[in-house]
Amino acid sequence: MEGEEVCLPVCDACRQPAVYYDRNKGGHLCGAHLVSGIEARARSTIDRYDMIGGGDRIAVGLSGGKDSSALLILLSKIVPGYRGASLFAVTVDEGIAGYRDETIASAIALTGRLGIPHRIVSFESLYGRSLDAILKRGKYHPCTVCGILRKKALADVAREERADSIATGHNLDDEAQSVLMNYLRGDLARLVRRPGERKGAGFTRRIKPFLEVSEKEVTLYSLLNGCQICLPECPYAGSSLRSEVRSMQSSLEYAYPGSSLRLIHGRERLFGILDHDALGKERSHCPICGEPCSGTTCQACRLLVEISGENKDNKKRFTT
Amino acid sequence: MSVCLPDGTIIVPEGGPAPVSSLLLSLGINPLEVIVTKNGRLVPEDVVICGSDEVKIFRVAHGG
Repeated sequence: MEGEEVCLPVCDACRQPAVYYDRNKGGHLCGAHLVSGIEARARSTIDRYDMIGGGDRIAVGLSGGKDSSALLILLSKIVPGYRGASLFAVTVDEGIAGYRDETIASAIALTGRLGIPHRIVSFESLYGRSLDAILKRGKYHPCTVCGILRKKALADVAREERADSIATGHNLDDEAQSVLMNYLRGDLARLVRRPGERKGAGFTRRIKPFLEVSEKEVTLYSLLNGCQICLPECPYAGSSLRSEVRSMQSSLEYAYPGSSLRLIHGRERLFGILDHDALGKERSHCPICGEPCSGTTCQACRLLVEISGENKDNKKRFTT
Repeated sequence: MSVCLPDGTIIVPEGGPAPVSSLLLSLGINPLEVIVTKNGRLVPEDVVICGSDEVKIFRVAHGG
């Protein structure tokens, strides 16, 4: 045992066994110092972008996976510091056989442990069919359909619950990948969309407190706060622009530590130079569901109409 | 010494003590995309493995 302890790297701050090597700063951290460092960084991001204000009611998107579980744990510690602010969790059951049951059970257990109100909604109940059923036609890219409909489900519940913002577990890696993808698509309007930006009437603000915390750090944060090592992979995960960009970003980050953070900070500098409104499309409201959108009909309703092939029925369903 | 990879495969690396990161890189796994446990305990990827160590690798980054 003594020999084993000798072999373990120790924390630079307290000499306890390390659990993490920070390649960016070049140091080792134990569990306690990693957790406190992550919380300090997230708090700084929240304040810098004014993500949370006193009295805010925050809807936390909780899939039950590592990122969203870590986010709920983080916010349950931080939010009480904002007078009158409150949290509730929303889980969207897309209907993916053999995958979602496990993560939904984790979400229920976590909200129970933290004493946070929890709503679970499903594609089946909201849209009349599960993701599995939608994808049977084989016409759609799973991640595109899932992403669009899950975003709509979260927005709908947030509006119903009169939430001021929707918090999601997106991390530094996700954000760096999005910046690269927006460059690759030439989508300047999305590139300079400020995190936590208030987009005007009808939009519920979206906040990402883990904006400057890497995926690996978020995973460790979740484990060190009592979540199980349960990292199931979605059966629909496969090749996509994001998965290719993810691989590239991860390799670059390993070879050149800090590149993801520099990418995010570089984008931040663009906020002051480029005018998002001038680059974006004119905002309107979707004639089917009434959600604010760019263009005519919103992406989710266009997709739902296409899926069902019953334009009239969808109009009824989403205007009630 | 045995190493359980993210897909469940178990390998027994040859040679003397070496950092897990070297092993991961030789298998084409980016150390940033995984977490490592050694004898059931979370460890950094630069930890040296040797002797009767049991190492498990979990993937944190998924496709999609």
